[in-house]
Amino acid sequence: MRRALRGEGAYLLMLLPLLVFVAAIAIYPLLFSFRISLFKYRLTDPNQVQTFVGLDNYLRAFQDPIVLTSIQVTLIYVAGTVLLEMSLGLALALLLASEARLMRGARSLLLLPMALPPLVVGLVWKSLYNADFGVIPYYLKALGIDVGRGPLAELNWAMLAVILIDVWQWTPLLMIIFLAGLKGLPLEPYEAAFADGATRWQRFVHITLPLLKPTLLVALLLRTMQSFKVFDVIYATTGGGPGSATTVLNFHIYTVGMTFFDMGYAAALANVLLVIIAILSALYIIILERQQL
Amino acid sequence: MMQKRSKFEQGLLTVLTVVVVILFMIPVFWLITTSFKFGREAFSIPPKWLFFDFTLRNYEDVLATSKIGLYLTNSLIVSLGATVLSLVLGVPAGYAIARSGSRVLNMSAYFFLLLLMVPPVAMLIPFYLIMRDLHLLGSYASLIILDTVFDAAFVVWMMRSYFADVPREIEEAALVDGASRFAAFWRVALPLSIPGIVASALYVIIFSWNDFLFALMLTSPETKTIPLGILSSFSAVEINWGKMAVMCIFAIVPALFISLFLNRYFIQGATMGATKG
Amino acid sequence: MHHNLWKFLNLIIVGVVLVGLIGCTAPVAPAATAPETAPPAVAAGLDACQGQSLVLASMTDQYVAAFRVLVPKFEEASGAKVTLDELGYVDLYQKLIADFVGHTGNYDLMTVDIVWSGEFGQNLYTLPLDDFMARDKAELQLDDILPVAWTLGEWQGTHVAYPLAGYANVLNYRKDLLEQAGIQPPTTQEELTAAAQALTDADAGVYGIALLGAKGPAVAQDYMAWVQQYGSRLLDDEGNPTLNTPENVEILQHFGDLFSYAPAGATDYWWDQRETAFRSGNVAMMEGWSIARAGYENPDISSVVGNVDLTVAPVKEGMEPQFGFGGWGIGINADSTPEQQECAWQFIKWVTSPEIQKEWLRNDGAPIRRSTMTDPEIVAEYPWMPILLESFEKGDGDYRPRIPQYSIIQDALGTHVNAFLVGQETAEQALEAAQKQVEDNWQ
Repeated sequence: MRRALRGEGAYLLMLLPLLVFVAAIAIYPLLFSFRISLFKYRLTDPNQVQTFVGLDNYLRAFQDPIVLTSIQVTLIYVAGTVLLEMSLGLALALLLASEARLMRGARSLLLLPMALPPLVVGLVWKSLYNADFGVIPYYLKALGIDVGRGPLAELNWAMLAVILIDVWQWTPLLMIIFLAGLKGLPLEPYEAAFADGATRWQRFVHITLPLLKPTLLVALLLRTMQSFKVFDVIYATTGGGPGSATTVLNFHIYTVGMTFFDMGYAAALANVLLVIIAILSALYIIILERQQL
Repeated sequence: MMQKRSKFEQGLLTVLTVVVVILFMIPVFWLITTSFKFGREAFSIPPKWLFFDFTLRNYEDVLATSKIGLYLTNSLIVSLGATVLSLVLGVPAGYAIARSGSRVLNMSAYFFLLLLMVPPVAMLIPFYLIMRDLHLLGSYASLIILDTVFDAAFVVWMMRSYFADVPREIEEAALVDGASRFAAFWRVALPLSIPGIVASALYVIIFSWNDFLFALMLTSPETKTIPLGILSSFSAVEINWGKMAVMCIFAIVPALFISLFLNRYFIQGATMGATKG
Repeated sequence: MHHNLWKFLNLIIVGVVLVGLIGCTAPVAPAATAPETAPPAVAAGLDACQGQSLVLASMTDQYVAAFRVLVPKFEEASGAKVTLDELGYVDLYQKLIADFVGHTGNYDLMTVDIVWSGEFGQNLYTLPLDDFMARDKAELQLDDILPVAWTLGEWQGTHVAYPLAGYANVLNYRKDLLEQAGIQPPTTQEELTAAAQALTDADAGVYGIALLGAKGPAVAQDYMAWVQQYGSRLLDDEGNPTLNTPENVEILQHFGDLFSYAPAGATDYWWDQRETAFRSGNVAMMEGWSIARAGYENPDISSVVGNVDLTVAPVKEGMEPQFGFGGWGIGINADSTPEQQECAWQFIKWVTSPEIQKEWLRNDGAPIRRSTMTDPEIVAEYPWMPILLESFEKGDGDYRPRIPQYSIIQDALGTHVNAFLVGQETAEQALEAAQKQVEDNWQ
């Protein structure tokens, strides 16, 4: 017994409670979502009729013009938010790593945006962005910049405007993750490098970045997955507009599922999104595995 | 042992920090001022940041007409419940995956990941039906359970990467001394990973605190959480910005305390961090 | 069958895990199926509520303030316990749908938006009230409720909700600005456009009219109002969608033209921003729901106190005047127990009775009864009541089609009218695309 607990058995025991818990709660919804994508099923139907239609919902997805543009929009949104948040988050973590009072205070303050529900964050920013009485266009105008219909209503600016909202809210989270990673790094490599007279930049590139890679990759993975599923902020600011400039796929899924109640089609779209995320994650994971060998 | 930064550099970093904080705080400051303004001044141009007709009317309104205390209590119960549960379940699992040599165990990590990929809209209705059949609709348990399913998956992945950073040699020394794997985890790996646990806890608290979709579907009037409370400041023709701002401030303050509290544990974990960059 | 098996297996696993985890929680057992409902033949009074408890889901519109005042009074008068759950538009809708679809019977009474009538009626979500109404005919004074108010919850001849709060689409205007410019309040759409142009002075930051342009329900509903005001329709006589008729394309052009006289950000306005624009004094005219009217006289939220008046919404020249009508009904959950349904009906009867209606109105409720709207005291307090009455008398509750497919039409127009306004599509392209989208999703 004692032997078993010193081997792999111990690891299994540590993993099992969570595995059972998650499987019990999530397996039915996961299977439901997969199964229903093969059916025509209108949620609000009083008789709850489900008709098997095979892959029709998937075929429909690839003929739906909104789906094709929204995949494109989603990729831009994800790339924009993740890149900006990762680099800004790392910069902030390095800037605020010291335990000086100012830095600790700054860290706490930066966490505040996260404490607001994204839906509310969207509404607040929609007001701040408003071309006529919003704070941001007011100062932009004062600088002599033409804001037109306002950042959220101009075809060329709307995407950047919603990306910045996401960046505002979630960069501090990445900062915290990186900070925790930085604090866990071993000291010896730095001492050696210091003895060799390496510059601060060299130490960052050759020691900190490689050592931090597992943390960076996990943050990248988690943040990418969340960014793919963005909904609240889009819903509260542009509603996917102007036109379809910010209609991300998850927003379209929501419309199909919770406005049209076309659950079969919505589930099929959700699975399409899942496959896109899965492919990207698989790429990340291959890199991640290499790192840890 | 570290290169000393020059006075000039120190000053530059301080200025940079202050600028960043100010930029990030503009919307929060806007909310604070709005909570003390009459509705007619919330959107006055030029913006009034400091000098406006100060009023406590919005606070009085919120305290009189909404159950803000109840919402906050509910949010705290759900967030803390989900945090404790997902740490208890997720941290050991993350450790097991980080340390185990077994391929099967390692693969299970991807099962958790799969869960995080599915858009919640597709699963909302089945979750609702499950909770109905368990007679848990409107209970704290339903929200805590559901949040934990997703939160714990995050915890596993984050802790896996932090544990990977803890040198195996330290634990092996303990094992040689006759400690069990559990003891090695509990006495050696865990204390060394406190910053990671704090970061994970923060992550989990934030997501449960902000959760809108699940809370919307699963709460009853008695178990409503703060995001739902905030959204009740809408009507068909307007948003009561003053009221909404007040509720936002009530939502921020507990979160601020939690983050200040957790901040302390960053230092306890590993103190040598300061200026590795 | 398969489906049930999975569910069963899963429940066993879940059950085993959770029993240890949660101890004992026992909320109210959900009603598994909709009970057969036939109200007792004998008229019942408030005493039918003795010992009952109800949950009322209310939209957080102005009238929720009236519920806050009246619900405790009803509890006192009837002995029932009524929990008021205040919900925003989106949350209300989704909670109700989940409650209906899952047959959980959490809400016994709910406010029902006029445009949900078809959906709730067709899917049997709310209890048809006709039997109750026939039984209690003597005390209801049905004739006193304005004919247009019955569109709040009527679906194919049955009443799936009872009239609660009637809103009229009216034209609010700034007396001072119009006087200065020597312009009479417009009575036709042609005059409205001319006035909007004349009143716009972009350099001074004053604009002719505030409109809803934001993608989604906002722009869709504003465009629908203009379709109505130009005497056109979105459905043909058989109820098929006809969004892209040449007539509607022309109306969309007119609607687009008006945006030249609106503030720059108007293509991004939701209801909230439109109100803000008007209240802060930047615009001279605004069409909108009558319920906002009292707010313009409240110095806490309005910078235009004393300078606002309202008139009926302008229609196309030569058209027989008809005015957009909307608002809320109140319905009873088909899944509630018969006793709760009876008590819920007592609540509806009570709150819509002429005696209570004055108090309802004074606490920010909206009217449905002629007797209330012509009451001398009420008219003295709310001088714009006669205009409202006129709008109600010629009200059109169907300009937003109250059919189960309403949300599909609203979504298509919400996307493409906005695309037209920001220059992504021409008027023809926009309505063509909207029509196609509606046809693709029509169920």
